[in-house]
Amino acid sequence: MLAPKRMSRLLIAASRDQMAPVVAELYRHNLFHIEEFVEAGAEGYEGFKIGTPLSGASEASVDLVKIRAIENSASIQGDDIDSAKTCTRVELQSRIERELPVLEKEVEDLTIRRSKLETRVKENEQKIAEITPFLTVPVDLDLYRGYSGFGVFAGYVAHEVTLSVPCEMSYSPGKEKNFIVIVAPVGQRNEVERALQDAAFQSVQIPEESGAPQVRIDYYSADISAMKSEIAEIHQKLDDVRMKHSGFLVACEEYLRAEVEQTEAPLRFATTKQTFVAEGWVPTENVDAVTDALVKVTNGKIYVTVLPIDFEHDNVPVEYNNPSFSKPTQVLIDVFNRPRYTEIDPTLMVSIVFPIFFGLILGDVGYGLILLVMAFGLRKFFKGDEGRHLLDVLRNASISTIIFGLLYSEFLGFPIPGLKPIMFSRHLMAEAAEEGGAVAGHGPMIPELMVLSIWIGILHISLGRILGMINHARQDHGEHRTKAVMANFGWLAVMWGILIAIWSIAALPLMPNLTGLPKIISVVNVGGIIGAVLIVAGIVFIARDSLLEVVEIPTIISHVLSYARIVAVGLSSVAIAMVVNFIAIGMFIEPQLKNFTIFSIFIIIAGLVIFLLGHALNTALGILGGGLHSIRLHYVEFFTKFYKGGGVKYIPFGMKRRFTED
Amino acid sequence: MAAELVAAVGGMTVEQINASQMGMKALGAGIAVGLTGIGTGIAEMGIGSAAVGAVAENKDMFGLALLFTVIPETIVIFGLVVGLLVLFL
Repeated sequence: MLAPKRMSRLLIAASRDQMAPVVAELYRHNLFHIEEFVEAGAEGYEGFKIGTPLSGASEASVDLVKIRAIENSASIQGDDIDSAKTCTRVELQSRIERELPVLEKEVEDLTIRRSKLETRVKENEQKIAEITPFLTVPVDLDLYRGYSGFGVFAGYVAHEVTLSVPCEMSYSPGKEKNFIVIVAPVGQRNEVERALQDAAFQSVQIPEESGAPQVRIDYYSADISAMKSEIAEIHQKLDDVRMKHSGFLVACEEYLRAEVEQTEAPLRFATTKQTFVAEGWVPTENVDAVTDALVKVTNGKIYVTVLPIDFEHDNVPVEYNNPSFSKPTQVLIDVFNRPRYTEIDPTLMVSIVFPIFFGLILGDVGYGLILLVMAFGLRKFFKGDEGRHLLDVLRNASISTIIFGLLYSEFLGFPIPGLKPIMFSRHLMAEAAEEGGAVAGHGPMIPELMVLSIWIGILHISLGRILGMINHARQDHGEHRTKAVMANFGWLAVMWGILIAIWSIAALPLMPNLTGLPKIISVVNVGGIIGAVLIVAGIVFIARDSLLEVVEIPTIISHVLSYARIVAVGLSSVAIAMVVNFIAIGMFIEPQLKNFTIFSIFIIIAGLVIFLLGHALNTALGILGGGLHSIRLHYVEFFTKFYKGGGVKYIPFGMKRRFTED
Repeated sequence: MAAELVAAVGGMTVEQINASQMGMKALGAGIAVGLTGIGTGIAEMGIGSAAVGAVAENKDMFGLALLFTVIPETIVIFGLVVGLLVLFL
């Protein structure tokens, strides 16, 4: 919680003949993040060389390439298939030897045949395109060729051409271009060409065909449709392959991937002629288990030790350590950047605050229910981890939306009958609420809502600054450490100084009123003096760390005001919902219900369509607005105060097996 | 009574004056949101295209790119806040 999993740096040394069992054991545990060995300049590793792959590496990778090619042509993706452990290792091995070559041949033949057919379809389409202009000329295609005394000109012209020389001409005006065919004696060639040039002549190649153009086109079209049906048949067959073998193929891929990764692992180790050394990271809680397992599998012929961590130079891999409730939110943190090992991991805070912001912005029971249904309904289509996590985030956000919807008393933009807004009302039309009678008329309480959002901003940013102080205290050293911590304190002091100064001058709703404090000089009272002192002290602290940062002081105000988007974006979604309701119900449905005729049915249906489309649009905008703005408040306003990120992802050597057994 | 008289002299009733004041407020709010929206759009134009380019080169940039792209959004939020204050305060 609030910090990544603790890691220990493990060094494993053993003789080379123990390499295979050690690699297999490490792979099975799926815990060891290998620190790759680099030959050049590795301290303390003089004379070591990068290892060579274990036996069977090349065979396995050749098979893996084949499997991936088959999966590609049959468009099989492991992520789309529910995990099922069906095959054991031995079974798979024998099946790979037996079935893979046959399957490969089958799929390869199909894809080759398909690409040949596709090329021929293209060729035929090209031929049809070539013949099509000649459809308008009632002459067989072979009559265009084979003259020695005549020249044939075919092509497009901008306007009709009149020739003074004896010739045969066919002119067919078209919508965009006019097609012309001229047969003239060879001797008159120059004159014909000149006349054509004046009419912006674009030559068209005469197709190497014989017979009437329409007949040829029909012939090629028939050919194309025959080939297309054959292609469809091939697709059907590939689909059959997918239906029949997808389980086997993904299992094979997983098995072979594991094989390849294991046999190629020595490429990441340091080796001598007789021994090998592997360095890497293991979560501290698992060190004993891994060490014991390695000792056991090698009968004690191994040396495993925990090395001290050097935070200056080591790049400790980072694995989240969060309660299951916050796990989905890790996706949002990864989008920004993974925390560094020494840094505070903000996932838990984001997982709590993000849904609250989302709920405050969208705050509508109707939309909340729609999103909740979506979050569960879309699970069928997202089988990967990341998609599922995003849906979980959406689920949490939608639950919070429903809760805030109840507090605001909103359902698709309508006030919920009989339920007064417990929180400040966002209903834009006070009159409408009064007419309904159920909800006491209260227009939008804009000042209160605005101040509430400002409060959220103040508290959120203060939390960020305090975390910033903790982070700097942890990560920095010496004089810089004190200065950086004090600078963060300075930012806090300036912000609260400005606030106290404002409170001492003006009374604001929902904020402490300090205007009554004893006055000192004219309008300035004790509060004003305290505020001014805080501001000045804060600026001094900031300047001591970095003078340039002083320029950034106005961002205190802009960042706090930026939280006003919680209200602003929320109100805009309420406004859209109300406009949709007014157009659909107030303008289309209600007047028709009062004077009902047969024709009204259509207008009522139109009203319903507007209602559905409008609310669908507003739901989409709600996800975008609510989600993007809440996450932006975290990324821009909150994280910039304390969070840098840039940690190395913890990628343990091994895999989560989905289709095969160990 | 006096106000009504003055208003009547000006050729407008009190309701008319109130309505036109409301209209002016609405106009002001609309201008505030509209102009800041244009401002944000112009500001995000350059950042956005550069950000998309950076993400195309390196997907890890996405978080940072998004962050940079949405920074000018604050401008339109200010507009929206001003609009709301003009309309409802």
